[in-house]
Amino acid sequence: MRDAYVVGAGQSPFGSFPDESYRSLFLTAFERAVESVPKGFDPTDVDEAVVGTLGVGGRQLGLSGPAVTEYVGLHGVPCTRVENACAASGYAVRQAVQAVKSGMADVVLTGGFEVMGDLSGDVTKYWLGVSGETEWERLTGTTFAGVYAQMASAYLAETDATVEDLSRVAVKNHANGAANPDAHLGFECSLDDARGSPTVADPLNLYHCCPTSDGASAVLVVSEDVVDEYSDAPIRVAGVGAASDAVGLFHRDTYTSIPASVAAAERAYEMAGVGPDDVDFAEVHDCFAIAELLAYEDLGFCERGEAATLVRDGVTARDGDLPVNPSGGLKSKGHPIGATGAGQVVEAFKQLAGRAGQRQIAGATRALTHNVGGSGGAAVVHVLEVAE
Amino acid sequence: MRQISSAGAYAPRLRIDAEEFREAWGRFGGAGVRTKAVQDADEDALTMGAEAGRRALDAGGFEGDDVDWLAFATTTPPLEEEDLTVRLGSVLGVPRTATTRTVTGSTRSGVRALADALTAGGTDGVALVVAADCPRGAPDGDEEHAAGAGAAAFAVGDSGAEVVDTATYSEPYPGTRFRSAGDDEVQGLGVTQYDREAYRATLVGAIDALDADLGAVDAAALQAPDGKLPYRVAADLGVSTEQVRAATTVHELGDTGAASAPLGLVSALADGAERVLVAGFGSGASATAMVVENESSVPVGTSLDGDVSLTYADYLRRRGEITSGPPAGGGAYVSVPSWTRSVPQRHRLAAGQCLVCGSLQFPPEGACRDCASLSGFDRVVLATTGTVEAVTTIAAGGAPPEFGEQVAQSGPFASAVVSFGGPDGGAVSVPVQVVLAGDDAVSTGDRVRAVVRRIYTQEDVSRYGVKVVPATG
Repeated sequence: MRDAYVVGAGQSPFGSFPDESYRSLFLTAFERAVESVPKGFDPTDVDEAVVGTLGVGGRQLGLSGPAVTEYVGLHGVPCTRVENACAASGYAVRQAVQAVKSGMADVVLTGGFEVMGDLSGDVTKYWLGVSGETEWERLTGTTFAGVYAQMASAYLAETDATVEDLSRVAVKNHANGAANPDAHLGFECSLDDARGSPTVADPLNLYHCCPTSDGASAVLVVSEDVVDEYSDAPIRVAGVGAASDAVGLFHRDTYTSIPASVAAAERAYEMAGVGPDDVDFAEVHDCFAIAELLAYEDLGFCERGEAATLVRDGVTARDGDLPVNPSGGLKSKGHPIGATGAGQVVEAFKQLAGRAGQRQIAGATRALTHNVGGSGGAAVVHVLEVAE
Repeated sequence: MRQISSAGAYAPRLRIDAEEFREAWGRFGGAGVRTKAVQDADEDALTMGAEAGRRALDAGGFEGDDVDWLAFATTTPPLEEEDLTVRLGSVLGVPRTATTRTVTGSTRSGVRALADALTAGGTDGVALVVAADCPRGAPDGDEEHAAGAGAAAFAVGDSGAEVVDTATYSEPYPGTRFRSAGDDEVQGLGVTQYDREAYRATLVGAIDALDADLGAVDAAALQAPDGKLPYRVAADLGVSTEQVRAATTVHELGDTGAASAPLGLVSALADGAERVLVAGFGSGASATAMVVENESSVPVGTSLDGDVSLTYADYLRRRGEITSGPPAGGGAYVSVPSWTRSVPQRHRLAAGQCLVCGSLQFPPEGACRDCASLSGFDRVVLATTGTVEAVTTIAAGGAPPEFGEQVAQSGPFASAVVSFGGPDGGAVSVPVQVVLAGDDAVSTGDRVRAVVRRIYTQEDVSRYGVKVVPATG
């Protein structure tokens, strides 16, 4: 199969933008992605588009894909919308890579978008909550915060990790996000701030939960046959892995791991011919602080039960041995659901291309992105590296 | 005539003291009521009745399968039209071919249903009588101040306590206590002497029609609209105040409506009373009286203790008096047909055992999660106690909107994944809501017990299903 490369990527600011639409946010991401292509990019080159969204805040359940590609001027370009809850655009990137590798397309626009900030809290909780296992899990009174809190209860009971370790994840990611001009909550927080915030779903407090955000992301994926037209320093998609699992937590064999993440990572590592030790930094799916700790273990960054030591010892801080979520992650950068997975690829592109500004990780050549749908019903992992 | 083979009773854990009303109102209209039971926000006559019915069956060593006649007596059916005995029977595992009847419209209906069960001809199996009630009045009304909550149930079969005599009497007394169509609050005109005379005259009429000797009774289970009226008329009925006191729950549970005299009978049976006068009364007015001989001490299962005290503000919240109802944003939509397909799981924790690998599956549908076989499942019923595997307590702001009104009324709840065992070993995980009250706290590893409560109401249709409560003892 042909190699696939990322030649450009961009995101809109993530945040709350009542004067923007999902289309206008996607246009911003698209324009930034086009501008980022080193040798220039003609939008008429796009053969195909694959975009992710959960449902545009529940207001556009059908044809939301063409709605954004037509808006940005890609008239007539076939567009497919991918839905896998919070992993929608991680899977969209994977579909773009597949289209390129298969030979069906040379240039694919991928990305994602969501608008969530202009809804009442009840409406947000309604449509987010029916994106998990609705008939049983949801009707015990949980939203996703509740399900991840259940996972946290099992993890804290099984390991020596503490609620304070969850707060440390928030402190780290806010420190990173404070250096990201596109972050939704781009401010630093202290451990005291993160410890003392109101409970959402015990043991998770407000600082253990990501915000709901507006935003869009766009990534340009091209084949090895045309990559030279766009860049002399492209980013190669070295590995792609994905896996599905039971949508409801109660149907899984473990509550202290996300098996779909484990399987997705194994497949991505195998395809890339690398292992967790070969990764310079990672963007992981920290929708809740517990999810970041589970990701460390599921992605092979540490042994089972050891995740808390990574964040306690600063290993995953931006200046640590294995920086995780240098963008600020979902916690600080924000989580416009459909934009998140491709947004992680945007950060990987910026870091690997040396364009991450004051949060640049020096010398990074290989990145991992990890995007989870729901509480683990779907997961997708990409390994990206600076082309030789 | 058939006999009372076993009995059960249930009252909610929540209690409010009369003093709370005095502080709020400067008076308390529930004469003689010290505390009263208050149904939780997710409880109603159907769920309380199921609790009492389950205890009556368990006490007698019966299964739901043994029941071929089921009566549900209440003045507060959660729906004015729709046969609620169907869902009550489903929760209790009563066969679909059972004869069912709902008796309502009068606080006498509990005793009426028991009398009917005793004479219901041609029944070989168990006749189950469930009386459950949670009356309600205007916040400043005497009826509301006295209004309690509770349920009693009797399994009627071929052995046990014998009803030696039954009589009914009625006489027109309109306007003493009534609830108009479409209204959920009882009211009265408060014509004190007239109200008392209606109660006295009809009870005297029914008791006078009995042939049995009242002097020999150990206890007199009288309808108790409050905690004074039964004593006031005792002498006219030919019983002593001691006999009345020996068979009443009104001082602790309040006015339990159609369950009032039945609860009195259950508590007398539980105390080992050998001969009990039972007299139910309903406004309008009518009364049914019977004499029960309990020489063999029928088995009784009760849960009548209260351990969570409410303030008056808590009480108003529980009753939805000061909450704003479901939010406008809507809730998670599960269609009624889709919910109905899951009724065996919701009502009775029905699971499946994979025909190929034998593992337990919940709900029993789709491919086996262990061996991926699509061969299907044997139906099995899970144990009613289980172990918490993962749990969270949802803070007030964290509940999904369809549970917003419940949180407003009852406060935070927990949501857990609970492992329940199967009949032949093994276990399967089920997501459940954990009902919390008072100082309850639930952690991983804790034992919990399944109960059926109202899960939520959507499109005006209440969906009942399994929740859990902390297991005690």
